[in-house]
Amino acid sequence: MIALAVAGLRARRTRTLLAALGIFAAALVVGTAVTVGYGLGTGFGRAADAADLPDVIARFSPEERQRIDQRVRALPNLESRSYRFEVNNVVLESRGRLVRSGALHVVLGGRRGYDIVEGHDLTRRRGQVVIERGLATQWGLHPGDTLDVGRIGRERIVGIAVSPDNVAYPLAKAARVYMSIDEIAARFGFAPSQANANLALLWLRDPAHADVTLTQARAVSFGIGRLEFITRDGVRLLIGQAAGIVISLLVAFSLVALAAAGTMLAAGAHADVQRRLAAFGVQRALGFTPRRLAGVQAVEALAVALPAGLLGITAGAVAVAGPAGRLLAALNELPPGAALLGPLALALLVVVLVVVAAGTWPAWRAARRPPAEILRGGEIASRRPGRSARGGLLGLGARFATAARARWIAAVATIAVCAGVVTLMLSLASLLEHLRDDPGTVGKRYSLVAQGGTDRLREVEAVPGVDAAGVRYQVEAADAFRLGESMRLIAFSGDHTRFEAPPLAEGRRLRGPGEAEVGEGLADALGLRPGSMLAAQLPSGQEVRFRVAGIVRALEVSGRIAWVRPAKLLAASPGIQPSLAIRLDPDADRGAVVRRLDAIGVPPQSASGATTRNGQFLGILAAVLRGVGLAVGLVCLYALVQALAMTARERRSAVATLRATGAGRGAVALVLAGAALVVAVPGALAGIVLEALVLGPLVARLAASFADLAVSPTLAQALLVGLGLLALAAAATVLVARRVLREPVVAGLRES
Amino acid sequence: MSARRIGVLAAAAVAVLAAVAAIAAACGSGAPAAETARPGSTLVSTLVDPDGDGFLQRGPGEPLRTRPELPAGRPGRTLATFGQLTDTHVRDEESPARVPFLDRLGAPFTSTFRPQEAESDQVLDAGVRSLDREHPQAVFVTGDITDSAQENELDQAIATLRGGRVDPDSGARGYDGVQQADSPDPFFYRPDVDAPRFPGLLARAERPFTATGLRAPWYPTVGNHDVLVQGEVPPTAAIERVATGNRLVDTLDPSLRPPRDEAGAAAATARLLAEHAASSGRRVPADPRRRHPGAAAIVDRLARAAGVTPAQAGRLDYAVDVGASVRAIVLDTVNRAGGSRGLLPPGELRWLRAELARAGSRWVLVFTHNPLESSAGGEAALRALDADPRVVAVVAGNRHRNTIEPRRAGGGGYWLIGTSSLADFPQQARMFRLRAASGGGVVLETWMVDQDGRGVAGPARELAYLDAQGGRPAGFAGRPQDRNVRLGIPAR
Repeated sequence: MIALAVAGLRARRTRTLLAALGIFAAALVVGTAVTVGYGLGTGFGRAADAADLPDVIARFSPEERQRIDQRVRALPNLESRSYRFEVNNVVLESRGRLVRSGALHVVLGGRRGYDIVEGHDLTRRRGQVVIERGLATQWGLHPGDTLDVGRIGRERIVGIAVSPDNVAYPLAKAARVYMSIDEIAARFGFAPSQANANLALLWLRDPAHADVTLTQARAVSFGIGRLEFITRDGVRLLIGQAAGIVISLLVAFSLVALAAAGTMLAAGAHADVQRRLAAFGVQRALGFTPRRLAGVQAVEALAVALPAGLLGITAGAVAVAGPAGRLLAALNELPPGAALLGPLALALLVVVLVVVAAGTWPAWRAARRPPAEILRGGEIASRRPGRSARGGLLGLGARFATAARARWIAAVATIAVCAGVVTLMLSLASLLEHLRDDPGTVGKRYSLVAQGGTDRLREVEAVPGVDAAGVRYQVEAADAFRLGESMRLIAFSGDHTRFEAPPLAEGRRLRGPGEAEVGEGLADALGLRPGSMLAAQLPSGQEVRFRVAGIVRALEVSGRIAWVRPAKLLAASPGIQPSLAIRLDPDADRGAVVRRLDAIGVPPQSASGATTRNGQFLGILAAVLRGVGLAVGLVCLYALVQALAMTARERRSAVATLRATGAGRGAVALVLAGAALVVAVPGALAGIVLEALVLGPLVARLAASFADLAVSPTLAQALLVGLGLLALAAAATVLVARRVLREPVVAGLRES
Repeated sequence: MSARRIGVLAAAAVAVLAAVAAIAAACGSGAPAAETARPGSTLVSTLVDPDGDGFLQRGPGEPLRTRPELPAGRPGRTLATFGQLTDTHVRDEESPARVPFLDRLGAPFTSTFRPQEAESDQVLDAGVRSLDREHPQAVFVTGDITDSAQENELDQAIATLRGGRVDPDSGARGYDGVQQADSPDPFFYRPDVDAPRFPGLLARAERPFTATGLRAPWYPTVGNHDVLVQGEVPPTAAIERVATGNRLVDTLDPSLRPPRDEAGAAAATARLLAEHAASSGRRVPADPRRRHPGAAAIVDRLARAAGVTPAQAGRLDYAVDVGASVRAIVLDTVNRAGGSRGLLPPGELRWLRAELARAGSRWVLVFTHNPLESSAGGEAALRALDADPRVVAVVAGNRHRNTIEPRRAGGGGYWLIGTSSLADFPQQARMFRLRAASGGGVVLETWMVDQDGRGVAGPARELAYLDAQGGRPAGFAGRPQDRNVRLGIPAR
């Protein structure tokens, strides 16, 4: 059986190579998806375990450690705790590079909550500092180098640490360094036991009951200023939000690629079987069983799929290993290492099984028929007399391609899915750019702000290019129960979601002047739920109360924010100054609008995006997506070449007749181009529609926990995808035409 | 069947159950046995948090261990069995005459609010049911039966102890306190929204119920919370207006700087109740049943409910027999002038001496709310007890903590026993069995009894355990040697 299969493959070298290329392309996508998806999907857990990340991190105003510990140790479900003193805006300097936003974590003993990935941890010896991996990578620092730490002076780096409670510098604003309290106390002449703390790390017996511990922590936190809790799950959620989109996309891509490859391979196998029906008939007449024939086909498929799949998956993994590693490092996570081999092996198995199933099934079905019936079979595409030969050579090619209707639909579907994925990635790339600059993507739907109130509203709304303008009030308040929680209250007259619409996590949008939408950060700190009461102390000393209608995922001021209607605020504090939030038409000339607003005496400013400093991170994300996009493009090319080669093979005699009657290279190319276009053009159109109606909304829903995303293609993106597919169609035409033209005319005529 | 035979049979049954539990644990089948064990006696099983996650589950029992400090002979026949319930703090948690917002300041204000305070009636009922299963001959309720000396609190407590219909609600129908789901104050646990969530707990806690009642005669002692507002302040006309009024102060005035010493705290509480409520707070339904009847009236009601005759008017000092061999002396230690520290006036000391003399050859147990060792005039009372060789123990409440310490005296000594409350974790009652010992002495066996956790009493215990200002972190359960022990009184 094996010898038969090998002989068969040798006999059809070119076709075998083509099939292998297709499998390689599909496996490439799967390999990239598995590498990035598995790395990101498990990266946080791996890093958190390695770093012994605490289950709860509490930040607060500096407090005497004993006083804090007295309250912390009384908490239920507590396994252990440790404390730090965090000093921000410390100047860090090394090798001629300087950052003023260093975060010095003075470790006050106990469990660390970070993983040393190079060098060693702080010891009792003087002059030691551990730095975070982000800073080390950015500045090229290693253990043994020195670092100037603010007023403390020059310290020797003894270790590089990773702590996944935040993303890494420079994605995070602050570069984190760790020193021991003994070192600081010795430098500044006080006893280590006198050190204050402003950070408590809590490890819980059962992290699933962290909410119970936090309820009690809140109850005993009176008098502790600026208290802020973040749980391990909260960190995972925050960091995972962005990664989650990528993972979801990659998983979707790999499935799409696999399905596309499977469809193409099945179509190819089916055509191959049809072509070899005569041989099957003879073999069956000679006594070969259907099982044996299917077995030979399976061995052939296996012989092609295994090396091609292995190569593809390996190439995919290698291709994105770099960007994936950088992505993980930016998120302060650890790469999977050898643990990735298991998922890759599983992916290879799936690819091989799909290919073998796609190759064997048609053979099995054909071989089960009686030998005589098999031998009577022939061309699968029936000629349709009576159809006029309109459209010239291009039309002829198109008719050739569409004659085998099922295969044509399969080819178009494959191209459509690939085109949809590529369009989605183009849309996402634009979105990532917008995330850097455009506040609209994180809930803000206006891009300009200006001084002014209701009296200027009409004027501003009348400016060409202004879609809408609203009066916005903003006031910094504190909770009315002296928890030390600060909060920002935002009020719009009317529906605030026209201007600011952070995604709703729980409950509903506010409907009246007595209601509020509360950010998750504030809700966590104050234990608010839909139906709870929010009591805020305004700077005027007045207290206002709102019933919580919904909890929203707000990124601004760590989610310590609430949206309300202005009536109550103005009643309590009439002096609050309003501003104007200005939303522009999508096609508006921003510069012209700004000039016009200047001219009418309402000079606007840009409303800033909330992720401005995340440019590098977004760049890495884009690189990963591009890597996957390239692989999807290869699948596209393969699908086109396969479809075209199949058509050329089936219409071998017709093409030979054309050439015999004097048609030159150009004519043959035109025929093939027609066949390619009839697949590529509907595929491109269907792909764009697929993205706009299915993939885009799906991804937007996946990302709903992160931001309001509008992932629909622009005209330019649609054109780009269309042109790209035309280019791929041209490339496929050239490739196949060269092969067709290499064949002697006589060979084709003999077949007819 | 005689009380003695019942006692012997009960002891045998307990011993068999304890042995079965021990064997089951030794055989490695502990968990199912513990789960199915009857709630109540901690000799059989008790509630533990083996994985430290903050949630209780039934575990193995704690066997009696012999305290060696005052050795006696081998225990023999049972002379008396009796139980103790203490610091039940039946609370009208909806009353305007409260200062729950002070709880966030920590000690000494931590008892002004408890997450499980709305279920105090049901917890007492659960404690009563558990104690009934132990079949005591008498039950001593050693003070702080109510939380803030209100008439409706006393009504509820007496109804629960005697059995019958109990209405825990006050004001309008339904809960109207600081734990409502829409309370904006993050320092109050709100069972409908905060973790662990118990939706509907408050509504269930306010529903009338039929209490089982103690089967044995019960003998009350007054505590400071029974006769003083919030256990600290004598009622005044101004406080009375607040209590029966319709303004509930539920937030802490940011400018308030209350003193942390107890005397200052009492004064601050009085001031807050008398002055603050008039100008702030929210409107709640008024209820005239929230009035404070005053110490004398409360003593009178308790005495009548229990069927005892106080030695003097206005103070709940009396003595009763428990069986033929035991004389119980109940002392009123509450300082009517205010504060939680106990006080024994000179006249009471004289009465104590006389009662000791009257006890004759019977074994003597003294029951008080405040521990004598920390009460004004208590040392003199202890010296009087030191001189009496028949004194077995002084049993007190107030501290909400299980403690057992020997008091060595010239005549040999006796035991000072403190018992945890039903208000805070571990929400246990205490059982006693006095047995004759070989050689002429006696052995006092004592063990804790868990409230049975039925209905809202279950969540109440869980909340009491989680409370970061409650009995768990404070170690109110005490050491093993403060709970289930065998205490000797040598012959003299």
